[in-house]
Amino acid sequence: MKVGQATLEPRYHGAVEHWARHNFKDYSTLLDQWEKYFPTDERFCLCAKMELGTSTLVQVGEHKGEPKRLDPEQLSEEEAGHLLAIIRAQASTEFGSIQQHAGTLERADDDQDRFWVMRVMAEELRHGYQMLHLLLSKDWSHVSGGVTGEQMVEEILSMQTGNHVLDAFNLDYDSFIDNITFAAIIDRVGKYQLTMQKVCAYKPMADSMPPMLREEAFHLAAGVIPMRRWAQRAAQGDPFITMAAVQHAINKWYPRGLEMFGDERGGDTNIKFGFKDLKNREAQDQYIEEVRRMIRDINLRFIRARFPADTPEQADQALADLERTRGIHHGVRFTDLLRLPDRRFFRRKGEPAFSMVGIEGETFTDVEEYLRYLARHLNEGYIASRDLKHYAEALRGVAAGTLTVKDAIMKMPKLKRVGGTCPCSKGVRWVMEGSAADRADLSAAG
Amino acid sequence: MPGTQAETRIRPLDELDISAIVRIDERISGTYRPDIWERRVGFYLRRDPGASQVAEVDGKVVGFMLGDLRAGEFGLEEPSGWIERFGIDPDHRGHDLGRRMFTAMVDHFRDGGARTVRTLVDRGDVGLTGFLSALGLAPSPLEALEMRLDGPAREAR
Repeated sequence: MKVGQATLEPRYHGAVEHWARHNFKDYSTLLDQWEKYFPTDERFCLCAKMELGTSTLVQVGEHKGEPKRLDPEQLSEEEAGHLLAIIRAQASTEFGSIQQHAGTLERADDDQDRFWVMRVMAEELRHGYQMLHLLLSKDWSHVSGGVTGEQMVEEILSMQTGNHVLDAFNLDYDSFIDNITFAAIIDRVGKYQLTMQKVCAYKPMADSMPPMLREEAFHLAAGVIPMRRWAQRAAQGDPFITMAAVQHAINKWYPRGLEMFGDERGGDTNIKFGFKDLKNREAQDQYIEEVRRMIRDINLRFIRARFPADTPEQADQALADLERTRGIHHGVRFTDLLRLPDRRFFRRKGEPAFSMVGIEGETFTDVEEYLRYLARHLNEGYIASRDLKHYAEALRGVAAGTLTVKDAIMKMPKLKRVGGTCPCSKGVRWVMEGSAADRADLSAAG
Repeated sequence: MPGTQAETRIRPLDELDISAIVRIDERISGTYRPDIWERRVGFYLRRDPGASQVAEVDGKVVGFMLGDLRAGEFGLEEPSGWIERFGIDPDHRGHDLGRRMFTAMVDHFRDGGARTVRTLVDRGDVGLTGFLSALGLAPSPLEALEMRLDGPAREAR
């Protein structure tokens, strides 16, 4: 575990810091109070970190056994274009999540939870910086369509919530519950993506993954541990924390997390090119099982807190009975616990896009009934959002036969940058057409 | 009791191991202490993810060993591996799981540049000192010192 460090040339490093001043206002607070909340931990470093001593040979795909590529010029044009889309998408997500977290950070009811999220944000900033390092340290001009490194950086830093490449990064948070749920659900997808990319045939990308993954381990803890504590508080009757509120947040984020793996039928290109080692559905299946385990853990925390005199075996049995019977155990209903939504629930991309499936897998035939169902299972702040309004319009179009599923997927609106030179330009407007971001998404999904 | 054909695996700790660790601790100590283990797991995942290990038997976590690589404490500038907490479900002891977790941690510490692994132990705990001794840990020239603060005040000069 030996790690090299690099910094961007001053104008780009300065652009990232400038971006942080606008989008991550608590960055300096975090650095000032680092010792208080993370005593003896290594200080945060805004830099790129590259693992040393990793494999020098391509590990999967059609080039398996050949030396890993050190320069984009060593990749075919198709491979380099594909990888460039992945890097840009990854960069977009890192900066995007900071913008999302910042919206509701101040609403945390616990200072430790708030500083944990701030650390997550700082490390996402570093991950974005890492991706910019990959874009700027080599020449991608032969596959970037004439877009220079400087323009790519400007494009990424000018994105706002609404025009990021992946949908999960275009949703506003409605409360601090979203900060925590996002860390537990969406950062978990990030862990899978980084893990798959450890084998990447482009060595600078592969070498970037282990340091990011080590930081990601804490991001998941920063989601799961507060969720566990909330389950305890909910079980003890805290009027401000309910399992229903957490469930509604899971319902909001989990479908977007599943879509981050790309279409269930895809992923062959990534393996063929040696960029990842799992197809989309394989990775998604593993992710689903991990989220199922997480939810069971949190439910067990709830049961133990509700019945403190029970032995661990009795608590296990109570949870197993509730899962099996979907009934009531000494006043606790199955519906009082967290549930893993069906993988087809509330999907708008991938294989089950715009199918009308409920949390338990129940199917709907009437659009309005399904939308009312969604309204009951999502939080109030979200159901009044522009995002859900556009989803409903697209779903109605699909149900009426006036829109194909493919067109509906493309019709989901994006914010698109239309001008401005400042790296944190807010010169954006709503557009309805399929965007370059959409195309990059499909490409990244492979 | 696990059969001899049980599939065992040593892997790095993750945030979903908290419940299993709480359960193992509860079996050993008789006390349910989720808050403590949430704090400790959060601490080690933040400090040095990849250092701490768990042992799985047939997919169930039955042992854990927590620690991290650190430098600069107690005048020890060179990085050292510290092993601070470990436990194995009583039903799964005697299967070399402790040694295997220890070996995985030592590999991690060595990769990180450590040349020494350290821990503190109650000399009166014969079982624990015997286990650590069997792993190759020996008394250190560094001595742990302490002073009780709940007795009568003593003038220090």
